[in-house]
Amino acid sequence: MTPSRVLRNDRSTITTWPKTSFVGAGILPRFALGISLFLAAVMTSPLSARADEQIQSANRIIDSMILDIEGYLISDGNDIESRTEITKHILDSYFDLPSIARFSVGPYWRSANSAEKAEFNRVVRQVMIRTIVRNFDQLIGLKFSQTETVSKGEKMVLVRGNFIDVKGVRPPISVAWRVVTPPGGEARVLDIELENISMLVTQKQENIAVIRKNGGKFSALIAVMKQQAGK
Amino acid sequence: MPFFKTSKTAQFLRRYFLAGVIMALGACSALPEAERTDSRDPYEGSNRRAFAFNMNLDSAAIEPMAARYRQSVPDRGKQALENHLDWARLPATAFNSTLQGRFENAGLSILHFAINGLTFGLAELTEDPKEVKAQDFGQTLAAYGAPQGNYLMVPFLGSNTTRSLAGSVVDSVTNPMGFVKAGSAIKTVRALQPPTRAVVFRASQFEAINDVKYNALDPYARTRALYYQARAGRLNARTGQPTENKATDSLFESFLEDPK
Repeated sequence: MTPSRVLRNDRSTITTWPKTSFVGAGILPRFALGISLFLAAVMTSPLSARADEQIQSANRIIDSMILDIEGYLISDGNDIESRTEITKHILDSYFDLPSIARFSVGPYWRSANSAEKAEFNRVVRQVMIRTIVRNFDQLIGLKFSQTETVSKGEKMVLVRGNFIDVKGVRPPISVAWRVVTPPGGEARVLDIELENISMLVTQKQENIAVIRKNGGKFSALIAVMKQQAGK
Repeated sequence: MPFFKTSKTAQFLRRYFLAGVIMALGACSALPEAERTDSRDPYEGSNRRAFAFNMNLDSAAIEPMAARYRQSVPDRGKQALENHLDWARLPATAFNSTLQGRFENAGLSILHFAINGLTFGLAELTEDPKEVKAQDFGQTLAAYGAPQGNYLMVPFLGSNTTRSLAGSVVDSVTNPMGFVKAGSAIKTVRALQPPTRAVVFRASQFEAINDVKYNALDPYARTRALYYQARAGRLNARTGQPTENKATDSLFESFLEDPK
């Protein structure tokens, strides 16, 4: 059983454990001091320090990315070229594109040769840029409000919040940024969950369906994606 | 004489509902595991045909109606209609929450239903009716450990699993609202709820659905992936807490353990 570290929006950190039912829970108060000491030890352990570091680096990257996006949205001139440049900057600066590409094909990554892998990385980036630019209008008028940050294991953090329509016309959309936090490495966004739907898991299932429909050929997916990117 | 004869409208809708279910089940022929694009979808061939039918229906009727609804109905009117449709589901949510032992959700549903019922659900008089997590009989079956079954794309009804489709059939006969004696006007409103719900949902997700329909690599596969995740989100939703999705978390955790 592993603890999950939660950083709420007031930036105070707590450690929560999965709920457990105890036999003889009535005698629990006697052990209150022991439990407190145990929790204090857990919270000051190297594991805890690592979780804090993960949470802080994930928060930093999301804060910085949101600031960038909000700045661009204020000055948006409804021009496809500048929107494409902005999107390229956001993807290259904040997203872990190689991991996104690798995750999105599951076990079929191993079946691809190095030329196909390089080509696929390039096409994935193109398709992502196209998708974001196509949906750019939907981002206008939204503000991100962070609610909590939770570490998920030693390499990943979930930054949760809501997209809120500043005019109050559209209902809030729950969003969670899945951030990779490698030890000693730079935090990067791996996935976005909107209303509990992971964009990357959806893409992975679609990509795998395309490969299987084409007899397990990785190259078929690249061809379909190229066609998509060129639309 | 009203434009719709209530009993005829209800008969028409029921007949199409049943026709959809029968068409889906009758057309089913299981694919061998190696030919499936998803192991949960053994009836992919007939499901894809049903999906094509639904997409044609969408292009011919639902998408244009949703577009017109978005353009012509003012925001307040849209909000009132959405409030009413959510409100009409509260008795079923209370019933299913009780069966699942989720008494807080059941209590909240009854409270919101009673208070907002003063305006027939058109206005939200209570503080946060969205805090109620909608529950159907498919979720109740899941709570009792019934297996999810296979993926089914049903004409007119869209994505389902065997379990959620069985739940929909039970929901259509156990909805407490159905037992309330009502005049012909109320019956007409009830009978029009499912098609209205389809148009309102299509309008509220207009760009997202169009993106799947016109831009996905494989719109059928993407719809299936979205359905499974949305359904998991509903099954995992808890009142007053962020929704935890352990299945998705573990997919990413195992990827990060062995990214090659």
